[in-house]
Amino acid sequence: MPTLQNHAPPAFFNRGPSSFTRLVFFAALSIALMAVDARLHYLVEVRQGFATLLQPLEVIAHSPAMAYDQTRDFITRQSLLAGENQQLHQQRLKLSADLQRFRTLQLENEHLRNLLGAAQSSPQPAKLAEIIHSGRDPFSHKVIVSLGSQQGIIAGQAAMDESGVIGQVTQVYPFSSEVTLITDKDLAIPIQVERNGLRAIVFGHGRDGSIDLPYLPMNVDIREGDRLVTSGIDGIYPSGLAVAKVTRIERNQDSPFARIICTPTAGIGSHRQVLLLTMVNVPATPAESRKMIPVRSRHAPRQP
Amino acid sequence: MRPVSLKDIYFTLLVAFMLYLLPWAGFGLMLRPDFVLLVLLYWLLRAPQLCNVGTAWTLGILVDLASGSLFGQYGLTYALTAFVALTYQRRLVLFNDWQQAGYVLLLLLLTQITLLILKLFSGGDLSGWNYFLPSISGVLLWQVVVYSRIRVTGNKDH
Repeated sequence: MPTLQNHAPPAFFNRGPSSFTRLVFFAALSIALMAVDARLHYLVEVRQGFATLLQPLEVIAHSPAMAYDQTRDFITRQSLLAGENQQLHQQRLKLSADLQRFRTLQLENEHLRNLLGAAQSSPQPAKLAEIIHSGRDPFSHKVIVSLGSQQGIIAGQAAMDESGVIGQVTQVYPFSSEVTLITDKDLAIPIQVERNGLRAIVFGHGRDGSIDLPYLPMNVDIREGDRLVTSGIDGIYPSGLAVAKVTRIERNQDSPFARIICTPTAGIGSHRQVLLLTMVNVPATPAESRKMIPVRSRHAPRQP
Repeated sequence: MRPVSLKDIYFTLLVAFMLYLLPWAGFGLMLRPDFVLLVLLYWLLRAPQLCNVGTAWTLGILVDLASGSLFGQYGLTYALTAFVALTYQRRLVLFNDWQQAGYVLLLLLLTQITLLILKLFSGGDLSGWNYFLPSISGVLLWQVVVYSRIRVTGNKDH
């Protein structure tokens, strides 16, 4: 049988190196890039530079959707606006009553703290950002918001809406930043059970919109309906923000741990605006710890 | 048929990239076909003298930058798919429309499986069969384009 090996193309069909040579070259280059990106974090500046170059393209790509939104806003019916206005008025009245009570309590709290000689809890200023789009990868729970390093955003800041914590800023570009949602499996938040003060760490589930509370023993004092709030011991989230509500507890005999499933309190994926809280104490090198910010260590939290 | 120029290739790739940059959300995001890869495959199969593995790699790097994923992930994947596509490119003339679609589906699945392996290596998680939906929607889009009489091989007589 005649062999087809060594069947080099005639010289005039030759167009540079063969596909295989190119594949080997580019594969090696990609693997080197991936290693540098994943292990050494040298490419943050490169990425930010290219993100700035891509910015005009993104603006053009987003313009149809934005034009649609604006037109829809413009032609919203008057009755709808009036209804919404009334509702907001009522809400404001209720809130202002709460606010007055809050001021009294704050004064009282300050006074008591002074008496105790404890450190003042400093207020955390926040910036309002708009969600531009919900990430490029449908299987990671991330959103891109409209503020970036030019507006003073740094990686690690907490993001929240009016009802609770949404997530954390994990990557910052010049004009936008990426917020990892609390339902992403790489994000962990130190929490406290509101009812009894039990401290633990919650992890996003990753597949659906729920949150896991792993590594707690079978006899742990958590009931369905318990509210989980941030404990504030990490220096990122101020204490007392609502995170989730316990919806189901499975105490399975096969496993030493209880399986606790919670639903996030904040409207994950239902808002256009988020608040980015300024951190009280900034970690040493926020730019380098891009992969480290979402706490990945899955050690069992210490019981109080 | 008009000969293909480099300008056509760059223009269509830019359009595909813009489609990728659109703010997809929810179910649309799950179904979104890989526009850039589809256009790239079209040109690799139709005009292999004008684009090669290097073109695929460059586009992959652009997608990496736009998606904020691990740098080089899409570069490697697109380069590999381009290599496989080019290796069997000459046999494509013998295929009919449906066989071509099958071939494209295999290439799209190859891309997604390579990506999945790379993601698993970098600490990702398996995400169910929904993960492969973009391949299906991609090949459907391919068939729609084929039925609008733009043939990959360029012969109009069937």
